[in-house]
Amino acid sequence: MSRRRTIDASYDHINNDGKEKRGVNKKAVNQHLTIEGDKERFKELLRRRLTECGWRDEIRILCRDAIRDKGVHNVSVDDIVEEVTPVGRARVPDSVKKELLQKIKSYLYEKATK
Amino acid sequence: MCDIGCPHLQELKSTKGVELYRIIFSSFVAASSSVARKRKAIHCFCFVCKSIDYRLHSCLQCVYFGCYKGHHIQDHAKHKKHYLAVELSHGNILCVACGTYVYDDEFLNVAHELMVRTGHKLGMGALYRPWEPSAKVLELLRKNPRRRKIVPGVAIGLRGLINLGNTCFMNCIVQALTHTPLLRDHFLTEEHVCRPEDQAGCLVCEVSTLFQEFYSGNKGPLTLHRLLHMIWTHARHLAGYEQQDAHEFFIATLDVLHRHCKASAPALPENENSQPDNPHQCTCIIDTIFTGGLQSDVVCQACNGVSTTIDPFWDISLDLGTSARGGNNVGDEGSFNSVGSDLSLSGDSKQANNGPTTLIDCLERFTRAEHLGSSAKIKCNNCQSYQESTKQLTMKKLPVVASFHLKRFEHSSRLHKKISTYISFPEQLDMTPFMSSNRNNRNLLNSRTSSSSSSSSSSDSAGDWISSGSGPLSLSDNRYSLFAVINHLGTLDAGHYTAYVRQQNNHWFKCDDHMITRANLQEVLDSEGYLLFYHKKLMEFQ
Repeated sequence: MSRRRTIDASYDHINNDGKEKRGVNKKAVNQHLTIEGDKERFKELLRRRLTECGWRDEIRILCRDAIRDKGVHNVSVDDIVEEVTPVGRARVPDSVKKELLQKIKSYLYEKATK
Repeated sequence: MCDIGCPHLQELKSTKGVELYRIIFSSFVAASSSVARKRKAIHCFCFVCKSIDYRLHSCLQCVYFGCYKGHHIQDHAKHKKHYLAVELSHGNILCVACGTYVYDDEFLNVAHELMVRTGHKLGMGALYRPWEPSAKVLELLRKNPRRRKIVPGVAIGLRGLINLGNTCFMNCIVQALTHTPLLRDHFLTEEHVCRPEDQAGCLVCEVSTLFQEFYSGNKGPLTLHRLLHMIWTHARHLAGYEQQDAHEFFIATLDVLHRHCKASAPALPENENSQPDNPHQCTCIIDTIFTGGLQSDVVCQACNGVSTTIDPFWDISLDLGTSARGGNNVGDEGSFNSVGSDLSLSGDSKQANNGPTTLIDCLERFTRAEHLGSSAKIKCNNCQSYQESTKQLTMKKLPVVASFHLKRFEHSSRLHKKISTYISFPEQLDMTPFMSSNRNNRNLLNSRTSSSSSSSSSSDSAGDWISSGSGPLSLSDNRYSLFAVINHLGTLDAGHYTAYVRQQNNHWFKCDDHMITRANLQEVLDSEGYLLFYHKKLMEFQ
């Protein structure tokens, strides 16, 4: 029951204006996805798509190169994140982004209208 | 390599063990119960800036959430001297004192165990884990420093096969089998373990050796006399120097291999067909790769009761005839717009209808609801009377390798002829429309309520979520790609078989006994096609 209300509230928010709406909306959606367990499912779907298109392997190579450049003993996770993240984001194929976006949209639409 | 973390983690482990980590992980990283998920949804945000992302961490020593990007978890660690924190999207442990993530085998094992459990609870199947070489493999690699690199253009895996006198039917099937990616990997990694007493005449060992030969790097053609002899002794109907049907040979080979694997496998419980959802209890490589489950739904026209049976299959034989039964049984059934194309019970072909022209057409026909007619009344289990019914075949479970057999040889009572109709087939094939889960949603939805089906009981469990073909969150993937085509040239009485095989994922070669020539995809797709082999693009982890 409370689930329905949070989602409804988040959709009402879209109609109102105000700067805070995105934040509140995002939080409600996140809570809803987490409670249902669907967040993990979406994550798994994304993980599979990224693995199958070779993105995972590309990033692995990038990380390995980053470690090799800096030397394995004076590299930190932060260094790698900083170096690899921008490239990694850019290399996510558009088809994957599109699929996920479309699926999340239709999922939320379904939940909100039910 | 053994990971033992850092001194700070060791100290925590020796005083408090891994229990705290387990609690945090099962509540906030991989929340498996709905209570835990609710708790995670409501309480997981940075105590300072209220954000929910920016790499949220949980303190491993007290109840505190802080984000990494805003430096809030680090501040907490320094302030309270609680140096260890758990990163909440993957569950890795951060040691702020050491300034990096630390890994300890004991903690990693807990993490993996909980991840797997959550994955199962959410119906996601097994989670992906990258392959890591075992100690034995590492040892072998170290001892044998020479490597052969597979570079584009290398001819590895291509061997001609000498024709031993009308044995092209065998040669083409062997070519298709040796280029089946999963089967190749199985045999090249020497997964087959033979019982000592079988070794002399073990067909699987012979095939295993054949695979090693094929990929040894030699280029000369091979002679399959030993294999042929073994097939002759194991499948007597194929013995002799006459021309044989490649399809028959294919099925016989799978059967013989399957029986051999089964015999050499450590004793499995011998209760076949006991579970409707799992028609093949056998775990041999042949069943793992080639066996699918075909669901047959017989719907009683009087009470709409459905009786479902699931049978294992190795290949799908598709009718190409232009004939289809029709007329008397169309009008009265509303939801099924079937013209009753008949597949196995065919006999009286009167009405001329346009035959299928594509593989998809054939599959559509194969999975269409078919009226069994007034002459074939079946006793309905639901209403206990003999009624007319419709029958529909769908794919309950898809095999890793889908083999399609185009029935080009027609043997009816009056005539024997070869059908040379052009049937186009795609390089990429999505089987989703032919799945039981997909069809049932569309056609049998109404009758499901009164169904006496054996499979309906499990339909609302979490496990079904992955196999259901529709919905935005479906993880099931039924895409296939073509990897081998067998063609028959000539007539019904005398002819020749050739095979197209895919090598290195995108190169095609034509195998005509001992001659192997380069081919291109278009050539393959333009060929007539007798047996078509498709390989699943994505595997499920199990």
